[in-house]
Amino acid sequence: MTFARTLKAAALATLMASSAMAADIAVIGGSNDDAFWNIIKKGIDDATPAVVANGGSVNYLRLVNYDNFAPDVVQLIRTAIAQEVDGLVIPNWVPEAEDPAIKEAVAAGIKVILMNAGGAEKAKELGAINYVGSDEYVAGQAGGAYFGKAGQKNVLCVNTLPGAANTEARCKGVIDAITAAGGKGAQLPLPSTSFGDPTAVAEAIKAEMLKDETIDGVITISAGDADSAAIAVAQAGRTISLGTFDMNQAGLDRIKAGTQSFAIDQQPYLQSYLAVSILASAIDFGTDLPTNPVLTGPGIVDASNIDATLAGVAKGAR
Amino acid sequence: MNRNSTLGGLLRRPEAGAFLGLVAVLGFFAIFGGVTFLLPGGMASWMNVAANLGLIAIPVGLLMIAGELDISVGAMVPFGAMTVAVLSGHYGLPIWAGIAVTMTFGVMIGLINGYMVIKSAVPSLIVTLGTLFAVQGVVLGLTVLITKSTSVALTVTGPAKAIFGDFVMGGQVQVMVLWWLAVTAGYILFVHFSRYGNWIFAMGGDKVSARNAGIPTERMTMLLFVLSSTSAAFVGMCQAILYNSAQVAGGQSFIFNAIISVVVGGVLLTGGFGSVVGIFFGTITFAIVTQGIYYTDFDRNWSSLIIGVLLLCAVLMNNTFRKMALASAPKKVAK
Repeated sequence: MTFARTLKAAALATLMASSAMAADIAVIGGSNDDAFWNIIKKGIDDATPAVVANGGSVNYLRLVNYDNFAPDVVQLIRTAIAQEVDGLVIPNWVPEAEDPAIKEAVAAGIKVILMNAGGAEKAKELGAINYVGSDEYVAGQAGGAYFGKAGQKNVLCVNTLPGAANTEARCKGVIDAITAAGGKGAQLPLPSTSFGDPTAVAEAIKAEMLKDETIDGVITISAGDADSAAIAVAQAGRTISLGTFDMNQAGLDRIKAGTQSFAIDQQPYLQSYLAVSILASAIDFGTDLPTNPVLTGPGIVDASNIDATLAGVAKGAR
Repeated sequence: MNRNSTLGGLLRRPEAGAFLGLVAVLGFFAIFGGVTFLLPGGMASWMNVAANLGLIAIPVGLLMIAGELDISVGAMVPFGAMTVAVLSGHYGLPIWAGIAVTMTFGVMIGLINGYMVIKSAVPSLIVTLGTLFAVQGVVLGLTVLITKSTSVALTVTGPAKAIFGDFVMGGQVQVMVLWWLAVTAGYILFVHFSRYGNWIFAMGGDKVSARNAGIPTERMTMLLFVLSSTSAAFVGMCQAILYNSAQVAGGQSFIFNAIISVVVGGVLLTGGFGSVVGIFFGTITFAIVTQGIYYTDFDRNWSSLIIGVLLLCAVLMNNTFRKMALASAPKKVAK
């Protein structure tokens, strides 16, 4: 009896250790210097124990820097294929370069989830099982709707990187949603001469507000720009609601103090936590999540949830 | 008779062309931008931009007059902002300690730039390109290592806020404008009313002859590099105090914007010619052109085009005017 039980346990252990049955997952992510990808790491770390408990493993493959971006990403995908992983979580940053390698991974029998960049359409095209991330246009709409609900009628979307697909989509979402709510919105594309100079950004916003007295809402495409906009808004001499995409400590402090209305967060923690969990469950147990894409944002941070958000920041998850 | 007291003499001064360029763009935006542009609020808007840029443009301009260039200012702005934010924001040190350390680092990097330019004989464009990237790397690396973030919050209250990062005169004008005016006055005395100024022009004209004539060219080069990097660190520091936050990125636009202001202000790219007052006018011209757009009804997508065309016009006017002025020398008075 004892012998048979031991044999059974040993057989089970062998099965668990073999890659066919337990989920060995590789996650590809951005560099150490990038705060965003450290939040992603926190999500991976928190999802890993469940994968390990079922006999699998999670390996976070990070870019060392962004100097040789596309080739380095492709190299990491090939590394994952060579490691014969069962699952791969990959941001589709550079489709032209990455797509052939991702297709190769899928052809090698690896289950793939696109995370952070790509979208549901792309996931379907490449044969990936899902997309976990945010949609810039939907995030913009959430911002526009927030203004609309708060009673703003004329919203300015300050775009310090005009022409970039993601920032344009953000502003378009804002303008469409505020228009749908009965107000109006416009984009303020700033020339490159003002990029990185907070005074130039602040003065440009101030000038627009002086020129058009009906502007009662301002939203910026990055947290740093919101620092500049906050000064402009404070000096406008009338009540103007300020929102921003992304968040930093100064912005959270303003939300806490009541001088900024909200920040739109794509919640990176959820991206990696959910991507790893969904993938592991699909490999281990054959689950199939009908929700596709899985949107982790927009999460709105405002006065109602600022304390919980700050607690999350302290733990490295926000 | 003083050669500058006549109208012709006045117009032949290096800054005259820059002044006319300024008047031209002011007129342009007074027509297309309406009155708001010339009201105190509108004026404050371009004066604030000019002040931040001007504090960097003048020392960069002096370097250009002396035949050198410093593009590391683009990294010194975020460097200054981040140093004070990490020390006084992240670590919570007293703000005066943060300011002192930031300024000290500014001086040190200026000394490194100057030393390398003198000793290596590599063009200063290349040397400061090296420090530009090196300082950017240090700022990013250390900030992430220390704070785990690329954006650091800083809250300053009391006299330091009032002196370095607040608004004065009805709450529209940055205190930076006062710094800029005071420092510009200082530079005018230094360059145009002391022997050091002539040394700078001589260095730009011919460095070897200048050294042979007994001018301490190496010490002057060091001084000018220290001025430019410290000024840039100062501007970054004041911005962090004003905006309560510092980012690792940004500041790059100051490189080009400063050089443009200097050239619009009548300094020759080849060195040896120019003036502090000209750079002062050039900076205001640049600020008016970039900020004036927001007071007009032009589609914002065309902003960069309009900025480019207006700046080109300002420089062309300046150049044409200078040639005309230099060609029509005053008639010799018969003895």
